[in-house]
Amino acid sequence: MKCLLLANESAEVLFYWTDTEFEQRVQEQYGVSQEEGERLPAFEDSINTLFAPIIISCSTMVDRLGDNYTSFSTENNHIYVLHQFEECLYIAVNGDGDETEEDLKRKIFVMKKLTEIMFGMVTFSGALLRKELRPQDTEQRNRLWKKLRSLLETYSRLRENDQSFLVEAVERLIHPTLCEQCIEFLERRLVQQINSNMDRMGEEVLHAFILVHTKLLAFYSSRNASNLYSSDLLALIILVQDLYPSKINLDETSELESSSVPEVFYTPEPSPPERESVRQRGDSPPVFQFVDPDVQMAEDSLQTLEAPTPDPSAPSRVFLESKECPMPHSMYCLPLWPGITLVLLTKVFFYYKTSKAKTICTVSMSYLFIYLFIYLKSTFTSQLQNAWTDFKNKAFSRSGSGFTRDLLPSCRNMKTQLCGVYRQFFAAECMGSSQRLAPHLQERALSMVQEKLMDWKDFLLVKSKRNITMEFPGLIHFIYVDRSNGQMIAPSLNVTDRTVSELGKGPLADFIKKKVWSLVATAQRYLQKGYATVTLRDGDYFYCYFLWFENETGYKLEVIDIPSSPDDGAPVGMLTCDYYRKLLRYYSKKHQNEVVKCYELFTVHLGVIPNEYILQHCSQLARKLWEPTRIPLL
Amino acid sequence: MAETAALAYSRRFFFLYDSSKVQEEEDRTREGIYYFSPEDTPVDQQELLCGQLAGVCRCVSEMSSSPVRLLRLRKSKYAVRMKDSFLWALSCVVDIPDVSVCDLLDQLIALFCFYNGPVRQSYQLYSKEDLALRWARYLCHLQGGSTELHNIFSCVRTIDSTHIDPLLLLKAALILQACQRCPLVLAGCILYRGRVVSTQMTPALTMKVMVYETQTYSQDFRVTANGLSSSVGSPSSFTATTQVFLTPTELYMLRCHPVDRACRSHCSQPPCQPSKSRFLSRTLSDTPTTDTDSSSLDCPPVSYQTMPSSPRSSLSDEPYFSPIPSRVNTPLHSNLMNQSEYFTPDSHDHGTLNGTNLCAVKESLAGLNIKQDTDASSGSETKSEGLNSDQDTQSDEIKALANGYEQSNCLDNHSDHDNQIQNEENKLDANNHVANKNGKFQGETEEEARTKSKQVEGRLKEKYEPRNTPSPHETLADTSLVPSVLYQHRVRGLVLALLVEPEFNTDPTAREEVHHSSMASLNGLEAHLRNTSPGTPGPPGPYTFAHYDCIQNTLTTNVCGRSAGPQEAFVRATKLLHSHFSHLDTLQEAIVRLGSAVYGTRSMAQETYFLQQGTPVRNSGSPDPQDSAFSLPRKARQRLLKHGVNLL
Repeated sequence: MKCLLLANESAEVLFYWTDTEFEQRVQEQYGVSQEEGERLPAFEDSINTLFAPIIISCSTMVDRLGDNYTSFSTENNHIYVLHQFEECLYIAVNGDGDETEEDLKRKIFVMKKLTEIMFGMVTFSGALLRKELRPQDTEQRNRLWKKLRSLLETYSRLRENDQSFLVEAVERLIHPTLCEQCIEFLERRLVQQINSNMDRMGEEVLHAFILVHTKLLAFYSSRNASNLYSSDLLALIILVQDLYPSKINLDETSELESSSVPEVFYTPEPSPPERESVRQRGDSPPVFQFVDPDVQMAEDSLQTLEAPTPDPSAPSRVFLESKECPMPHSMYCLPLWPGITLVLLTKVFFYYKTSKAKTICTVSMSYLFIYLFIYLKSTFTSQLQNAWTDFKNKAFSRSGSGFTRDLLPSCRNMKTQLCGVYRQFFAAECMGSSQRLAPHLQERALSMVQEKLMDWKDFLLVKSKRNITMEFPGLIHFIYVDRSNGQMIAPSLNVTDRTVSELGKGPLADFIKKKVWSLVATAQRYLQKGYATVTLRDGDYFYCYFLWFENETGYKLEVIDIPSSPDDGAPVGMLTCDYYRKLLRYYSKKHQNEVVKCYELFTVHLGVIPNEYILQHCSQLARKLWEPTRIPLL
Repeated sequence: MAETAALAYSRRFFFLYDSSKVQEEEDRTREGIYYFSPEDTPVDQQELLCGQLAGVCRCVSEMSSSPVRLLRLRKSKYAVRMKDSFLWALSCVVDIPDVSVCDLLDQLIALFCFYNGPVRQSYQLYSKEDLALRWARYLCHLQGGSTELHNIFSCVRTIDSTHIDPLLLLKAALILQACQRCPLVLAGCILYRGRVVSTQMTPALTMKVMVYETQTYSQDFRVTANGLSSSVGSPSSFTATTQVFLTPTELYMLRCHPVDRACRSHCSQPPCQPSKSRFLSRTLSDTPTTDTDSSSLDCPPVSYQTMPSSPRSSLSDEPYFSPIPSRVNTPLHSNLMNQSEYFTPDSHDHGTLNGTNLCAVKESLAGLNIKQDTDASSGSETKSEGLNSDQDTQSDEIKALANGYEQSNCLDNHSDHDNQIQNEENKLDANNHVANKNGKFQGETEEEARTKSKQVEGRLKEKYEPRNTPSPHETLADTSLVPSVLYQHRVRGLVLALLVEPEFNTDPTAREEVHHSSMASLNGLEAHLRNTSPGTPGPPGPYTFAHYDCIQNTLTTNVCGRSAGPQEAFVRATKLLHSHFSHLDTLQEAIVRLGSAVYGTRSMAQETYFLQQGTPVRNSGSPDPQDSAFSLPRKARQRLLKHGVNLL
């Protein structure tokens, strides 16, 4: 029984997602009519009615007490988590025990991240976000909500099954030679060719990468590209997985060949009965009713066909973090084979507009640095000009209130105006434009890489399932994360190879998986409070968690007291507000003359192994795993 | 730490809100506020908090079809209880473990019900102002832990046994045992200056009894607003009784004592069964009586049933140290005894509401609930006399309630006291009558009770949490509370508190019996305890520790009131670990490090936390077998032995 919804301050639902159980429960409670056609608005209404008292109470609490609800839990263990971003309130509900409070909070932050990826800084303004999330046109809205719901479900699926989404770090395929070859190929052949081609229509490939399922084979960034943050890369993997989902089933290597995944998605010629079902779904409420993975696949395929841009060569618009503000990029997902995807990220040129818009964004990111306005006044819209004058009068003039709380409304007003400018420059224009790499250029890129990897494809698919193995008696599982580059290494949990053969399938594997998931959650909870070393003896197992810092040469730096984060802060992770980037920045302040790296190690051992052996294992593991992470990314 | 704790707790809100008083548009929120603490909170803020929280809780509980239990805000959190139209909420700072604040609220409600009976009824009988005083007192009592740790574990404060001659503890235990020879005495405890010396009750009950003690002690033995009319004459020594209300579980626990013995003779316990102490008390009274009292074990239960059921049993005729177990003379007992055949052997390990005795609790609950069912359905006559009917109580009974059944006597003036008792007898007769009736009814429906208990079992299992606090459902279920009497005998700082059957009040012989049998010993014990120097605590070792006994609900620690530096770090880690332990049953031990490492370990019976002081050796936090943090378990084992903590 799950639900997630976004509402603005006037208790208007901007977006919601529910699972079937929740929907049924609501319908039972409200006796919503089951008639076709009437159903959709009625369900939305009942969601609105249900949550309105909570939403209204939230604003009252904020206004009058300066405090706000962050969660409720009931005696039957239903959990409600609330979080306010700007003028938007997010509420996540779980009533089936699958998710903890922490999980729900994370889901909210991920949802927020996804909207940022889709709308950039427009999300900073409640009014503008409302425009984006609730378009007047019902059909358009349904399409958008469906897309968002699908993304949310893809995330939940990955979070539940994929270790890289558990620890929120990108997993790389450990094959240095091939990796290097691919990077070279991407750089010298692919990106160079596209960027020098006349048909690129003003687009420039900045980043190119190849994914095998969710794992990264090779990644190349062009010289004039700004850094692609791990949080964005993870979010992009969600987008790719949403378009071309991998079956994350236990022991699926044999099924890979037979699973008819991406081609089907990519061919806009579904069989007539499927077409039929698409239409039907369009009329039914936009609530997902996934039962088993196979059904989900089918659903997702229809999803793609119904996407806002039915044209497969059209890129998705994504906003990626940069130093100044989220900048729009075009993302092209080219499926090489089922499970293997080439992704190109291009920058759209705005020529003269870009520089000015960028400056404005810098301002709006920290909108108290007003002085920049003075240079930009001439390009202001009149509303922004007015807002600025109003702010200036209040803040700096003698009769004004100065920098007090009373300044907030004018700040807010200015922020809205700035977001409006941002939207005008980036979002609206990009969204509407049909600018894209010529389809034949995309096809060319696809076939080039296909050719290059033809002989490797089967190997890669298998490798992605057995990335790394390590023999330590008594060691059951480990995850090693390099937080400086946002990458992780871990044995697959669902593989039948020697190390983990006993855990390959069935209840034990599932049990271990649960243990690993809870270990990571526990470690993150302690880390949030500042605890960087945790060992636990739980049942028959012994768990370790270590976080430490090194310099570039691998010299281990002295431990520091990590500040404890507030309970209502962002959850520890990279996809959501990038905790580790902040942590590294914090540590670097004390080691300004050297490059600081941050590592984490999670291990699960059998409890019968004496502690000193376990610790020895851990230290050996950390040493051994240090090497693979040295594989150059560029 | 005391200061920070005080600060943290000073921002604590507690309120009781009745939404049924605020139904119409024109009703003001303040009508529904029964109690709000701190009381100097501006009314509009009270209204704001109560209104918003009650509204939002109602909305959530309707959506989830279940009451809200915990509500978090960014800067604080509230433990919540919802029952009928009532809502209790108790706030604390965010870093207090959820389990602690929820326990605290449950204890608070349980305390109120213990002294005042069902909430709705109390507010019919007494004014808001009177009851506000009581809420404030209970709140103050529960939050008055000497360190923050005491509040987190909400433990019973005990005297420091390391500085006391063990013989004194033995003596205290014997006094309690001697009192139990009076069949009307259920169980007792001895307190010295607000700390437990010896108790036969569960920690939860002991805690409740202690409030009364502390309150009377601190108020210079004056008449209190609690309806306690007492203390005429010598202030250094007096006895008093007050009415209290027990939950069916508590009552069962107190009365099942003879069942236990009787049954042990019948059903052979599995040898692997760990024999837990019956009352889990700190006295010797619960050392395995099975072995020593084997003669009494041979008595078949039938013989108990033939015992006279009159409370006026010839107590004086009974020889002291009679092997015949006390308190077997009410029909309810014999009934329970019969039922006991259906208990699993586990059920004999009662004490705290621990997993092992769940079965027994369930049985008793089922039985008692059914008793009410029959009460309700068996016509107006019984209803009006029923203990549990709160509306139709006879006027006499109301009067009695208003007086709290309290009686006092002066040591020097027994005849006065006797007269007084005579006067009260009429009122109390009704009570006895009912008690007998109840027993009869239960006897009739025993069969039904068993079948129903099976149904109840499932539901209980779901909701059951192994806690020391009584099941809140039970406390909140107003109607199930059973009146009982708390007898108190004070000798200066020493208090003997006994839970007795209501008939005790009308039985001057019994009173005298108990009084005389204990007076001399109490005086002696008090003199000894007074002369025992509190013992200056030795220099705190180069380590900090806390040892929590989950069964006795006691805490041993060398964290003093004011803590800073490593102690503060220790308390912080302890809070986190305690919370973790409470969520994850399988977790046995943990080491966590932020600056200095803290080691926590737990078993079914205890939780221990340990921090080694001294400047931590430079380390990187990377996995390293030489890391001193991982030698903590060994150090803890060595160091804590001398504090009587065995971690082996």
